Amino acid sequence: MTQLIIITIYLCLLLFLGVFAGKLFRGTSKDYMLASHSIGPFMLLMSLFGTTMTAFALVGSTGEAYKIGAGVYGLLASSSGIIHSLCFFVLGVKLWDLGRKYGYTTQIQYFRDRLESDKIGVILFPILVGLVIPYLLIGVMASGTVINSITEGAFKTAFAEHDYGIPPWLGSLVISIVVLIYVFFGGMRGTAMANTAQTIVFMILGLITFVVISSKLGGMAAATEEVVKKNPSKMMRAVHPDDEKSFNLKYAQWERLAEFNFAKKNKLVDELTPEQKKAAMKRYTGRDLPHKPLLAQANYAAEEQLFTLSVKQQNLARLQQDDRLYDEASLPKELIKHEALVTYKRAGGADAKGAASSKMIQSKIGHPDHFIDKKDKAKGKYWTRKKAKGVYRATSWSPDKPHPMNPWKFLTYFFVPLSVGMFPHLFQHWLTAKSADSFKLAVVAHPVFIMIVWVPCVLLGVWMTSAINPATGGPLIAPHFPPNAILPAAVKALTPDAMAGLLTAGILAAIMSSLDSQFLCVGTMFTTDIVTHYSKPGKYSDKQLIVIARMFIIGIVAVTYLFSLFEPRRVFTLGVWCFSGFSSLFPLILASLYWRRLTKAGAYAAVITAGASWLYLFRDSGYAANAEYDFLGVMPVATMTVLSTTSMIVVSLVTKPPSNATLKKFFSGVGSD
Amino acid sequence: MKNNQGKYLVIGLVVLLVILHQDVWFWKSHEPKFGFMPVALLWHAGISVAASITWFIATKVAWPTFEENAPVEAAEATEENGS
Repeated sequence: MTQLIIITIYLCLLLFLGVFAGKLFRGTSKDYMLASHSIGPFMLLMSLFGTTMTAFALVGSTGEAYKIGAGVYGLLASSSGIIHSLCFFVLGVKLWDLGRKYGYTTQIQYFRDRLESDKIGVILFPILVGLVIPYLLIGVMASGTVINSITEGAFKTAFAEHDYGIPPWLGSLVISIVVLIYVFFGGMRGTAMANTAQTIVFMILGLITFVVISSKLGGMAAATEEVVKKNPSKMMRAVHPDDEKSFNLKYAQWERLAEFNFAKKNKLVDELTPEQKKAAMKRYTGRDLPHKPLLAQANYAAEEQLFTLSVKQQNLARLQQDDRLYDEASLPKELIKHEALVTYKRAGGADAKGAASSKMIQSKIGHPDHFIDKKDKAKGKYWTRKKAKGVYRATSWSPDKPHPMNPWKFLTYFFVPLSVGMFPHLFQHWLTAKSADSFKLAVVAHPVFIMIVWVPCVLLGVWMTSAINPATGGPLIAPHFPPNAILPAAVKALTPDAMAGLLTAGILAAIMSSLDSQFLCVGTMFTTDIVTHYSKPGKYSDKQLIVIARMFIIGIVAVTYLFSLFEPRRVFTLGVWCFSGFSSLFPLILASLYWRRLTKAGAYAAVITAGASWLYLFRDSGYAANAEYDFLGVMPVATMTVLSTTSMIVVSLVTKPPSNATLKKFFSGVGSD
Repeated sequence: MKNNQGKYLVIGLVVLLVILHQDVWFWKSHEPKFGFMPVALLWHAGISVAASITWFIATKVAWPTFEENAPVEAAEATEENGS
């Protein structure tokens, strides 16, 4: 309950800040959307940084480091340090200058002018808004997960099905409403102020989290030593031979379990006699796991050859044990190996169904603050539903195979941060700058700020692969733990209640500092690029436009919120897909500023190619369900960007160049007709 | 840009950063540095610091100049452009 109170106080303070910023509001739509170009260097740095560092940077990076190891920093953090500042420098400053000169508020206004095309807005608007939605989704989804994880056990009887904590749908809803309110009151000025305050909050609290958690794990060196001992591959980007060996042993054990369960279910083996069970336990030399008796019996049955299965039955055993969906008629004739097994889609909610069907697991589910047996506290406290699902996954599903990082994929991750060049909300932030010099601090400090946030998160994620729970002596995080919940789980388990509340406020600060800019931006785009653009001048007053913007924002947030209620995706994977879409449009903005030969038709070709290739590849990845997806061995974003660039160049070169008047307007050194 | 030399220096530094970023020579290093830091992380944290230094140099030698008080034209130029 302490955590819940602290989070509530923080959200109230944020609302107060929004109302305060509202008092400074000058009443014009320009002030609402661009803070009247009044943002100085420090606030510009904080708002740009806060906007780009979202749930992706905290929740996503920790979860991904837990899944793939320390190399995740190189994938996106160090490359972003280079590319983001490059975008601020090469695009931001120039666009700020053009925006100031010609009064642009949105990207589409600029493109319409530069490309001498009204219709480019019609095609760009749905694409940009459509790509902002998954970006919003990352924040909305992560906020619900974080709040639910941290408030587990806060209520005595309410929300039992959500482990007596705030349900994710309610957490997401509250965060969306709070951000909506302070954006509505404060506009861009309120957003920039809230971003600055929240960026300071999440950076300071993030560092405190790191220090507290590392000391709980026995210090940084001890925490790392556990990883080197148990999961050395998480320290590198190749697979350590010890991990390879460990996986092979675990997988062989799992195969025996799968076949034994299949044989039992289909009555191909008799129930083991008490003597056989005793002998099985005596022979068992593996780890002390909750399903040790079953593993021992599976090993015994295999050694004693108590049953035999055909190849088809062996395949069915593996697929059923791993809760995979399959078509029995099209099963392969050879034995399915691990690589092939993971290509079958896993049934949604299989862990919940599995946990519900286990009597042992069901008997342990209850309020996480209550002991299972008050007289025998050694039996521990009741399990949460999340833990119950975790136990099912850890004891039923096949172990994760350690993967090396593909150097080509690593290199092509460089394309992902190019997205910053096309983020519509960053475009709007660039235009708020007081002067070109205001950008300097952001350009220089951004890479180091990324490092300050990402290094502790990545280290935490890596440590969580091997950390021991000081309270129980067992592993802190079970196998197959949802990556999105790693950070809140570590905070919950290793920090005192009051601090966990503060740290959660810090995580939420990072999430909200991105949501606010995105909310404001979609409203601005709708009023500027659609409503004002297609209506007679003066038809709507400034006040009416602000109301229209707010209505549209509510509509988009409602759509995003509905999406968040569906099957969740990994924050990191979803983020990469969203950024990839924007990156594939990067050639367009770069060419529009530096290539005079770019034509309207070339721009259409780039946008259509980027959109079509993104849709095709996103669908091919199972709508982000396949987190390891690549295309021709490289990141899909590389293919999309190359295709959009090629089509843009080819079509531009064969179509009529822009008029001299336009070239003169946008490029220095062009003479008049 | 203030001068072409500055521009080329910054381009050169960015290309160098991209090359150093592809640290295949550390792919198989798993022993921590300073007792706790994975090499893969330490090297790339260094890249982040180097990127900040590069961009600091860029603001000194290649920062674009604008007429800060240039006359501002009216917006809605697009209204005049048909497609």
